[in-house]
Amino acid sequence: MKVRLPQLRILVLGGLVAAGMACQQAPPRLKTEGAPPSAAAVPAAVPADQLPYVYTRWKHFTVREGLPNDHIFAVKADGPRVWVGTEDGLACLDKRTGAIRAWKEKDGLPWRVVTAIDVDKRTGDVWLGLFGGGLARFSGGRFDHFNQLNSGLVNDVVYGVAIEHDNVWAATTAGASRYNVVTGQWTVFTEKNAPMEEIWNYSVSYDNGKVYLGVWGSGCLEFDVATERWKPYLDPDGEMEIDLYRDDGIIHVIVTGASHVDDALWISTYFGSCRYDGRHWRGFYAQETGLPSDFTNNVKGRSSREGWFATDKGLGVVADFPSDTVVSYTRDPQTLRGKATLYRSGKILKVVDMERSVPHNFIISLDIDGNDAWIGTARGLGWAIGTGYYPGLRKGADRRAGRAAEAAAPAGDPASGKRR
Amino acid sequence: MRFKAALLLRFLAALALPLPLLAGWLRGEEKERHPVFVGARVCASCHDGKAMGRQATCWCQSKHAKAYASLAAPEAGKIAVWSGIPQEPQEAAVCLGCHATGAEAEDWEKDDTFFLKDGVQCEKCHGAGSEYADERIMKDRDAAVRKGLEIPTLDDCLKCHKEKGSHTAVLKRPPVDVAAGMNLIAHRRPAGERAARPTLPEPPAANHPGSKYTGVMACAECHGAPAMGYQFSKWCVSKHAEAFAVLGTPAAVPIAATMGVQGDLQASIACLKCHTTAYHQPASGGLGSYSVYEGVGCEACHGAGSDYAREAVMKNRTRAAPAGLKKIDRETCLACHQDAHGKPFDHPTALKAIAHPTQAPEVVEGPRYKTPLNVAIRPDGKELYVACEAANSVIVVDAAARRQVAEIPVGGQPADVTFSPDGRRAYVSNRLDDSVSVIDVRARRVTATIHAGDEPHGVLTDRAGKTLYVLNTSDESISVVDAASLKEVKRLAAGRGPWSLALSPDGSRLCVTNQLSRFVKFRMPSMSEVTMVDVKSATVDHRIVVPGANLIQGVAWHPSGQYAIVTLLRTKNLVPMTRLLQGWTITNGLGIIWADGRVDQVLLDEPGQCFPDPTDVAVTPDGRLALVTSSSSDRVAVVDLPRLIGMLRQASQEERETVFPHHLGKAAEFVIKHIATRTSPRGLAIDPAGKTAYVASALDDSLTVIDVRTLEAVGRVDLGGPAAITKARFGERIFHSAKNTFHRQFSCHSCHPDGHIDGLTYDTMPDGIGVGPVDNRTLRGILDTAPFKWEGTNPSLQRQCGARLAVFFTRVQPFTPEEITALEEYICMIPRPPNRYRPVGAKLTEAQRRGKAIFERTRTNDGRVIPKEKRCMTCHFPPLYTDRLRHDVGTRMRLDEVGNFDTPHLNNIYDSAPYLHNGIADTLEEIWTRYNLEDKHGVTNDMTKDQLNELIEYLKTL
Repeated sequence: MKVRLPQLRILVLGGLVAAGMACQQAPPRLKTEGAPPSAAAVPAAVPADQLPYVYTRWKHFTVREGLPNDHIFAVKADGPRVWVGTEDGLACLDKRTGAIRAWKEKDGLPWRVVTAIDVDKRTGDVWLGLFGGGLARFSGGRFDHFNQLNSGLVNDVVYGVAIEHDNVWAATTAGASRYNVVTGQWTVFTEKNAPMEEIWNYSVSYDNGKVYLGVWGSGCLEFDVATERWKPYLDPDGEMEIDLYRDDGIIHVIVTGASHVDDALWISTYFGSCRYDGRHWRGFYAQETGLPSDFTNNVKGRSSREGWFATDKGLGVVADFPSDTVVSYTRDPQTLRGKATLYRSGKILKVVDMERSVPHNFIISLDIDGNDAWIGTARGLGWAIGTGYYPGLRKGADRRAGRAAEAAAPAGDPASGKRR
Repeated sequence: MRFKAALLLRFLAALALPLPLLAGWLRGEEKERHPVFVGARVCASCHDGKAMGRQATCWCQSKHAKAYASLAAPEAGKIAVWSGIPQEPQEAAVCLGCHATGAEAEDWEKDDTFFLKDGVQCEKCHGAGSEYADERIMKDRDAAVRKGLEIPTLDDCLKCHKEKGSHTAVLKRPPVDVAAGMNLIAHRRPAGERAARPTLPEPPAANHPGSKYTGVMACAECHGAPAMGYQFSKWCVSKHAEAFAVLGTPAAVPIAATMGVQGDLQASIACLKCHTTAYHQPASGGLGSYSVYEGVGCEACHGAGSDYAREAVMKNRTRAAPAGLKKIDRETCLACHQDAHGKPFDHPTALKAIAHPTQAPEVVEGPRYKTPLNVAIRPDGKELYVACEAANSVIVVDAAARRQVAEIPVGGQPADVTFSPDGRRAYVSNRLDDSVSVIDVRARRVTATIHAGDEPHGVLTDRAGKTLYVLNTSDESISVVDAASLKEVKRLAAGRGPWSLALSPDGSRLCVTNQLSRFVKFRMPSMSEVTMVDVKSATVDHRIVVPGANLIQGVAWHPSGQYAIVTLLRTKNLVPMTRLLQGWTITNGLGIIWADGRVDQVLLDEPGQCFPDPTDVAVTPDGRLALVTSSSSDRVAVVDLPRLIGMLRQASQEERETVFPHHLGKAAEFVIKHIATRTSPRGLAIDPAGKTAYVASALDDSLTVIDVRTLEAVGRVDLGGPAAITKARFGERIFHSAKNTFHRQFSCHSCHPDGHIDGLTYDTMPDGIGVGPVDNRTLRGILDTAPFKWEGTNPSLQRQCGARLAVFFTRVQPFTPEEITALEEYICMIPRPPNRYRPVGAKLTEAQRRGKAIFERTRTNDGRVIPKEKRCMTCHFPPLYTDRLRHDVGTRMRLDEVGNFDTPHLNNIYDSAPYLHNGIADTLEEIWTRYNLEDKHGVTNDMTKDQLNELIEYLKTL
């Protein structure tokens, strides 16, 4: 089955539109979606009781707690601060106090829809991608606005933003822009000077000398900062969402996110996700791994063995890549209770029921924050509190982690999600 | 038959070609190649000889051919000063733009046969010739034009020959009459003569074994620099350089006749023997760089140079002589000059005339002033360091003896100075050089130089001395420098025009002033920023807005840490400046920046007696007094801080926000004294004991010493400047004085700080509120860009600053003729800083190169010809990038009375935002994205975003 370009464009737009509608209705089902099966062999080397850390403590933030809007398009942890981009405003959450400060257009925010955030660790400046409004720098309380009319930004529809040394990269619907904050020079990357068959850039990230663009229809493009050369990662199967030859390359050229960490490149597409270690590719399909869905909006790698995926049906975490262990976090739309399902090679190992998990199953943004994680959904922001977090696997560890979390939560802790 | 075969081949090939390519190919079109400069000698290969009216010969003797060399004349240096060019004229793009050909071209745009030092050559007027130089093309005028041949008109001559104030001022002669000049350089061909290539006989010794002639340009590579006494330029204007050309003049004919030589003298071996280099002495011919048109060049005397011309050989006499460098003696000259044409020859006199100086000519400079701008006191209180802008030095003053003890050379235009907390180092910002000099205090010398951003001003370290902060006033940033490695570790975004900074008493915060307002919406008042930096993280943690204020410069913390005090102006640029009569235009005061971010503003002006241009502030260690300099009224105001703060605390919030910032009657409540200083007090510092204050009196070359206890000026420390006051210095004092404005409200400096911009749009005419708003333009390098005003109605600076200024701005008696002449002279000499985006000699980046192609393009992206009047280069041609005419580029707005505006020059255009006549465009991009929707300001709407970005990258290099 081949998906035509117009259909895919609608799906892409659907990512954002659905975020706006999700609190009213369940997200649309994809034709490619299949229920997670349980048939797969457990790797012999890893006993079934070797389990990954499971996030059982969640705190939710919505307009009720002070967010400007519940449709969370971007989240970025910055020390004790967490920056939150919404459909109608920017917010900054103080982890220590739970206090939220919000900015809307009336407060100087140049554009209401904030779709991307990155923080320049050196200067402390917060860079915002604005959906239709260009770029903004938030520095010391001042918003500086860069758009396609007053600057060299190639397009105002900005999906992603990333800091690379003195450069700010913006992934836009008409190519990528690079702005050097010292020289003031803007550089545009399109089909003219980059291997972009399509110029619709969905994401941009930076790690260790390389910039990674996720491009609708052009896969993941790696830019070597030192040599200024591009290296494309494309789907060897072409535009087929069917993976004809397994693990031969990127799952699909419609890439929504790319996150490089340690030696691994984690990639999300609308037709599944994948990981590349510089030599080997590995594709992740929902029906084979237990990830909630193939329709993946975003990705964040925590390490070379742990990758987090924001999907339209929940949060999927490849919690231990070597053992093919996955944790899928979802929320029951009826009971509103949370659930973490642990899989190994697609087989359910365990189901953990919790009072709460992700605030909504339609997830478009996430960030890792030390032991914690922040999940931006169509109905608020979720804070996954990682007290006692450990990487990899431990014997019977999820129970210990859960108990440690309970013990660590102080009375009335705003993060605990409940009063004691 | 052959024709048919060719057609058939084309047809077959056509089947394989895409349609658009096919169409062009069938028309026989070739891909358009970028023309490159080929040089006058290539043109001369056809354009000389009797049949061609000896055009090249005529050019050789013209001033055009000596235009480059003329830049070595002392007058050129003076003109450069009058043009605000702080560079060697032969290296300055603005000078070369008219005194050479292809000055804007990169190396790849010049053929090996082209030499910039040939001055104004054929291609200066006719365009780069590589594509039309072919004889077959040149004989078809239309074809040649299609290939880039330009047919200049008188208007084209005016691109360079339009009167320039700097040239008129120095040369004291009227501009060139271009109509008459056109006649002078007319390229006439004798009637009835049949064009034929000029031919020369073979040099008699062309096959002689040994060295070859390299030509004078090879020698000029080393022997042209100022350090070598401009030897090439001196030769260039000598008769030797014209020796071949004179053979083509009518005057040469009778002389030759006396020697029995007739016919074409330029083809006569007898004449060429002494009138050229190659026919002079035996050699094995000439390299490609040699041309007979050089006349008698270096090698005529020194011998063919191909084997000794290399610098390594030339510098080693034992190697140079065997390689062919001949020793010159009397006989060398006499070989040609003895009894030549019956002229007497005095060898010593002649030798003196062609002397080859080996050092730079002595420049007779006027008095060199010091212009102290800021002063810092060593932590132990024993010495003062004074940054002296005009002297490029820091002067060390013994605090006890109150006398200068040393002067330390630093970079260009030092602006601010500070000490490391241990007192071992001093840091000096060099505004012209974009650097910070690091001084070893004990050794009293510069030990390192740190590269900073554009035009660094304020400098200060943190309390531990580990981090140095440098305010880059022109690129709106703060350099954070690791004091150990002296490397910049990051750059923070400041406000616009960061100026001074002060460390809070607990060392945790830096308060940074910014002298330009943020960009505000059209016809809205200023919103300036005070930037707070968290020292621990070295990040900006707060930006405090000071509404209605601009030129926020000086800053000092109160010892309590509760607030910082800044100096500020409140410029009423939205109403006609003639409202000054009612107390409008500019008020001057202080801002109180509370630690929690609140702001109060109070005025230091009093009714009838303003306190113009408050520039710096210092607080006594006991927190009781603040001293504030007024640079244009030569006073220091003493502010009783408890009274000031008490007044604020007793007032309502509404009073503090809406009354005090405008109230001319409040200063009397907290200003307890005015202390007179010497001329133009700028920076000041109070010693750690709180007993003495030192004020840098910029235009008196001195420090004024103030006893803080008695509040009296008790001394003057002479910094060693010249006693004589030149006309320009007098003008500088006028520029920085408020004496010539009603109630002494402001000075020229108030709107043109340090000769540049304040970033505001003014309503300068009494034609209704808001009518005809105009952007304030820089004065840097302004003289040669006449006429002045956006309407282009003032032909001279004297007119601009004369009675008109009194009527519309100052509202007092106009300047006297003596004053206005001096003022003009000073304004002319305000230097234009070197371009930051393309240092002298630097190649263009790839993006800039592509931008240049856009700037010079003649066709749109889809191939349409852009009408000449819609091309960038038509109105913005080099070297000033203005045609100095008015044009309607579609920017007229509702409040404008006219639509034609003066074409602004583009030199250093990046540092004078906002743009367009009314300052409506905050950025260069907006000029075209927002305000050129109908392609009236050049054809730009076909451009892609990357093309516009690259165009802007190029514009920044101009």
